[in-house]
Amino acid sequence: MWHRLVDLFTSLKLTIICLAAAMVLIFAGTLAQVHLGIHEAQQRYFQSLFVWWPPESRGFKIPVFPGGHLIGAVLLVNLIAAHLKRFRLAWRKLGIHLTHAGLIIMLAGGLFTDLFAVESHMQLAGGETKNYSEDGRGMELAVIDVTGSDLDQVTAIPDTVLRHDRTIDYWSLPFRIVVRNFYQNSRLKMLSEAEDGARPIANQGPGAMIAVQPAPRATGVDERDVTSAAIEILPKDGGSLGTWLVSDALGAPQTFSCGGRTWMIALRPARYYKPYSVTLQKFTHEKYAGTDIPKDFSSRVTLIDPERAVNRDVLIYMNHPLRYRGETYYQAGFQKDDSATILQVVHNPSFIAPYVACVIVAAGLLVQFGYHLVGFSRKRKAALA
Amino acid sequence: MKGYVVYFGLLVVLIAGCDKKSEIKVYRISKAPLEESAPAQQNAMPTNAASPARPAGMAAAASTSVSTPPNWEPQPLSQMRQASFLVKGENGAVADISLVSLGPAAGNVLENVNRWLEQLGQPPITAEKLAEITQRLTTSIGEVTIVDLAGLPKDADPAKDGRIVAAIVPGSASTLFFKMRGNADLAEAQKPDFIKWVAAICAAQTENKSPSMAAMPVAPQDSSAPQIKWKTPEGWTEVPPSSMRYASFSVSGEDDAKIDISIVTFPGEGGGNADNVNRWRRQVGLAPLDDKEITTKIVPMNAGSANFSTVDMAGGDSRVIAAWTRRTGRSWFFKMSGPGPLIEREKPKFFDFLRSIEFSS
Repeated sequence: MWHRLVDLFTSLKLTIICLAAAMVLIFAGTLAQVHLGIHEAQQRYFQSLFVWWPPESRGFKIPVFPGGHLIGAVLLVNLIAAHLKRFRLAWRKLGIHLTHAGLIIMLAGGLFTDLFAVESHMQLAGGETKNYSEDGRGMELAVIDVTGSDLDQVTAIPDTVLRHDRTIDYWSLPFRIVVRNFYQNSRLKMLSEAEDGARPIANQGPGAMIAVQPAPRATGVDERDVTSAAIEILPKDGGSLGTWLVSDALGAPQTFSCGGRTWMIALRPARYYKPYSVTLQKFTHEKYAGTDIPKDFSSRVTLIDPERAVNRDVLIYMNHPLRYRGETYYQAGFQKDDSATILQVVHNPSFIAPYVACVIVAAGLLVQFGYHLVGFSRKRKAALA
Repeated sequence: MKGYVVYFGLLVVLIAGCDKKSEIKVYRISKAPLEESAPAQQNAMPTNAASPARPAGMAAAASTSVSTPPNWEPQPLSQMRQASFLVKGENGAVADISLVSLGPAAGNVLENVNRWLEQLGQPPITAEKLAEITQRLTTSIGEVTIVDLAGLPKDADPAKDGRIVAAIVPGSASTLFFKMRGNADLAEAQKPDFIKWVAAICAAQTENKSPSMAAMPVAPQDSSAPQIKWKTPEGWTEVPPSSMRYASFSVSGEDDAKIDISIVTFPGEGGGNADNVNRWRRQVGLAPLDDKEITTKIVPMNAGSANFSTVDMAGGDSRVIAAWTRRTGRSWFFKMSGPGPLIEREKPKFFDFLRSIEFSS
């Protein structure tokens, strides 16, 4: 049994199958971007264990092809196992060992990046200060206890948890939240402007005057879903406080009282708070003379970290990101009227892996070819002598 | 073959178990809303760079203040700023004044001065040059270093930028940064008051006195909405308005009890009385009433500048007092909600607040 398993994971056939499957997956995933958009295609084809059919929720789904995570993981196991099986401690094998080690680090780094890297963005208007970045896609239902005089306690429920008819009962909340309706993408209209027969899905707050219409998922690079939900608040000691509409399209949090405390609820882009703040001092957007073609854009920000007594100005521009506390701030974009800068914030614990891997692979190839070159030249010298 | 399935399953579970995006998170954040400390007004004015966070030691200066000139308009505080004012001069000139506190390691005068010079588009200076341009002010908590820097950054509006007057007070636990940045002439005119203010804050640190801040700013979120004025009752704290609110206040009581007071305005009728009152009733757990019954619950109130309709609803621990008026094509709603006992305590102030409201048209 064990031998068969070892044979399977160390076989070159498995490597070829994985590489072939990866080629097919990349081809299919690239074509899928036409209809799904880059983000959705990445999720379904590359950042998944399997590619499922049918993709939308129709009561059932079956895996039709291995996803990127599965192929990458199997390839990684295959590479490690094959290398261990054939490992021989000898100087002449050093180059091979180094090259394989580099490839393992590169594959593992890629998998870790996919699993653990968090990309978000921070949009700052002139003079604005923020100590959090926001997810580009993921939303969260923020339930905030605003009763305390100094601190707010936030219970952040990710949108992946919000599903139709799901009940959320969490220790930090004195009430249960029942998701009555959930729309990944939606359009909101005032009842007075909606077509005849439109009904509100909430009976509390501004939602009582708003009709919600489901919309197809946003697929464009510059588009994003307007996620909405109707949630009923049920105090744990009984009764109901009514149903509230929460939506990315509603600008303001809504307030209610429960358990003698004041609560705010809002559906907003998922936030990642930082122990430091960033203030935009100046955003510069230069164009080539007489054209609208961007020549350069940069953001001068002030970074303030009271814990580390840091207070410094930093210029962020193309290929010159700010790296601080494990996060990298790239100049990613700006609002159309230059009123705000958009910084991409990347937290990637394994960002160093590709650099290390490349250096090790290069060193391995150098050693391997160098070894053969030296051997070849020695043989040639001996032949000439 | 079974063994393959087990190992394969373990691999799948290992990878699938790495999904962190489905976890509910609970965390605490400071009340001071950084993201709301930069309203539209700040977009149009120069900003103070030194805006440190949680002060230590001398941070008492954050919540205490001394009397300030009447033309210094208090601005909403943030987690970074312990005091913030805006001064307006002639022809649109403005200057931004702030007090912030950083750790003791942030007190290098030369580095800070060069950072400010860079903000003004000026080259850095040496320590020798710095010694020539600094002024010293001896206060009860030590010697204060004052610098007066001039320069206009490229593309900057001279009405809003051109000069920084700053004072640095190093301490063992923290460093205080006082800063005035704005129009050069206005900053020159305000400099004596600024220095007096610095000295007074330093004196207040020693005496540990904490006179209260002056007037509250009015920060409407809808520039197309007409302006209204009010007198903020004692004990009410104005919090930055949201996109749905014209203004917000909060009042804290014992045991962390807190009430929320809001001003909301809509063009038009803003919904019928029955719809609104029933919505508020549901918020405190009361059953809705029919139109006739609701009419009996509405109490008119003549507040001088306007006639309000008011309702007072209590259900369980919660209570809501709301007042509204409709004038010149707009509806204005004033609502106080929270725990019953605290609402009862603040009720007279709420009605005084309504009486203080002045509509601009």
